[in-house]
Amino acid sequence: MDPLFLGAILAVVTVLVLFSGVSVAVGLLIVSAGFLLIFDGARSLQLLPEIFFGKLDNFALLSIPMFIIMGASIASTRAGADLYEALDRWLTRVPGGLVISNLGACALFAAMSGSSPATCAAIGKMGIPEMRKRGYPDGVAAGSIAAGGTLGILIPPSVTMIVYGIATETSIGRLFLAGVIPGLLLVTLFMMWSLYDTWRSGAVDALSGRSFTWKQRFEILPRVLPFVAIILGVLYAMYGGLATPSETAAVGALMCLAVAIVIYKLWSPKLLWDVLRDSTRESVMILFIIAAAGVFSYMLSSLFITQSIAAWIGTLDVNPWVLMFAINIFLLIAGFFLPPVAVILMAAPILLPIVISAGFDPYWFAVVLTINMEIGLITPPVGLNLYVINGIAPEISLRTILVGSLPFVACMVIAILLLCLMPSLATWLPDYIMGQAI
Amino acid sequence: MASDENSNLSGPGERTGWLQAVDAISTLCGWVSATMILISVGITCQMIFVRFVLNQSTIWQTEAVTFLMVAATLIGLPYVQKLRGHVNVDLIPLMLRPPVRKALALFTLSVSIIIVALMLVYGFEFWHTAWSRNWKSDTVWGVRLWIPYLAMPVGFGLLLLQLVADLAAVVTGLDKPFNINKESR
Repeated sequence: MDPLFLGAILAVVTVLVLFSGVSVAVGLLIVSAGFLLIFDGARSLQLLPEIFFGKLDNFALLSIPMFIIMGASIASTRAGADLYEALDRWLTRVPGGLVISNLGACALFAAMSGSSPATCAAIGKMGIPEMRKRGYPDGVAAGSIAAGGTLGILIPPSVTMIVYGIATETSIGRLFLAGVIPGLLLVTLFMMWSLYDTWRSGAVDALSGRSFTWKQRFEILPRVLPFVAIILGVLYAMYGGLATPSETAAVGALMCLAVAIVIYKLWSPKLLWDVLRDSTRESVMILFIIAAAGVFSYMLSSLFITQSIAAWIGTLDVNPWVLMFAINIFLLIAGFFLPPVAVILMAAPILLPIVISAGFDPYWFAVVLTINMEIGLITPPVGLNLYVINGIAPEISLRTILVGSLPFVACMVIAILLLCLMPSLATWLPDYIMGQAI
Repeated sequence: MASDENSNLSGPGERTGWLQAVDAISTLCGWVSATMILISVGITCQMIFVRFVLNQSTIWQTEAVTFLMVAATLIGLPYVQKLRGHVNVDLIPLMLRPPVRKALALFTLSVSIIIVALMLVYGFEFWHTAWSRNWKSDTVWGVRLWIPYLAMPVGFGLLLLQLVADLAAVVTGLDKPFNINKESR
């Protein structure tokens, strides 16, 4: 059978299987085994365990559970609230300081935890009630946190970027750096929209700040600084060439656990087990998808589907930007339904050769892909962050949260357009710090 | 999305007898998996200490940590299944009428059981080959590969057990199909 036609059948079958409600990892194994059995014979199935094991047998994967432990131990403490409070106290003179503090806290917390739902929950628990109390519209309060939370997968360290790096064999350190400026760009766009929307809704009073004494401003710093120091230390160790991402992440995980235990007094075995349990659950879930997606991409290439699609796109002679537009639409739709990790693992091995041969930068593409995934986090039907906000602020209806989040989707689309116009927004920082990519 | 993260969904019901025993085994797997991850944190920090502070070369650490992670993933599979932590797309199941939803749940669980059983059988062969031929890794440490490979049949075997228990729980009405509480959306 023509590999391209086979690819089309495979796409339909994969969608059907994944939408049946089976878990993503098992679904990928089912599709892979089914296609290999039919088109390559039963003998090829014997290789599955070896490929599955081989995908996991990679030291770089260690960084995933390590960054997850870092995030989970920070998320289990009051660090999110402290961070938010510190920013609020320091930004009182800035108009709209509260919503700016919230978004800034989201960005910083995202940098510490690498997880979008964790960021939403940690900052939103305190930020949303406070914004509502001070007269911000419900839509702005909920939408800004939902959108701010999505930064977790873009601003380093980001588990999504690690997964992209592993799937495409690109440098994780470089990927992390590529996410920094686009992350700051997104925060700025989010802040601008929040201020405009608050001003437009007539809640001008909410924009005026409260006053804090210098004593109040300084007394909160000791609670925030340790985690910030750890993050800076981790980034320094990585970019200073001291250790690999996995190694620095392990030290970061140990230090975050230590800070959570010593400073935030997280010493009850039950609370510690909760942190470990959540980390284990998330790590195992992601690593299982990684291994299953490895089997899936093995099936794709052994049936010549990957190669045929790349060759076919090459013959199409379409404008690269038309191609990029189509890829973005595809990613956006996939992101509506599937978690970022699954989309990246399934799509990146197929898309990256196409993207590179069309002349795009793989690190720039990682950022564009990630922003697409961020949109999926605040749009229905899956929109994980919307549900997280709904969980922590049940008094705001899901509809208000959704409508409040939509303008932030527009901000993300603007960010993607800006990145298309100025790719150096993503590529300049990694090139500047690490030198040109080879 | 992930069943446990959606407000419409609830965890499994009260289980007794062998179902309870399977749950207990899976929970134990969770402990083992979490411990393995913790040990990897420790070993990695020790490795960095040896390399950067003592200025000595490391021999076994990288490989040990990698195999520990593989084992933690595989042994953790049944536990995450028990917590309903394996992410899925439940959009269609949510829209279905309860009897159809139950039929679909039974079908997807059965197919999952078949594929996991397949991985168990071939995983056992994979392990057995390494064991009978006494394969060793081609590193300085030269670890006997049947030890890390053992995680394949054990992990998939235990996942199979948990899936069979979950299927039984849906058949007997103990668990809601896909753990969805709502009638239909």
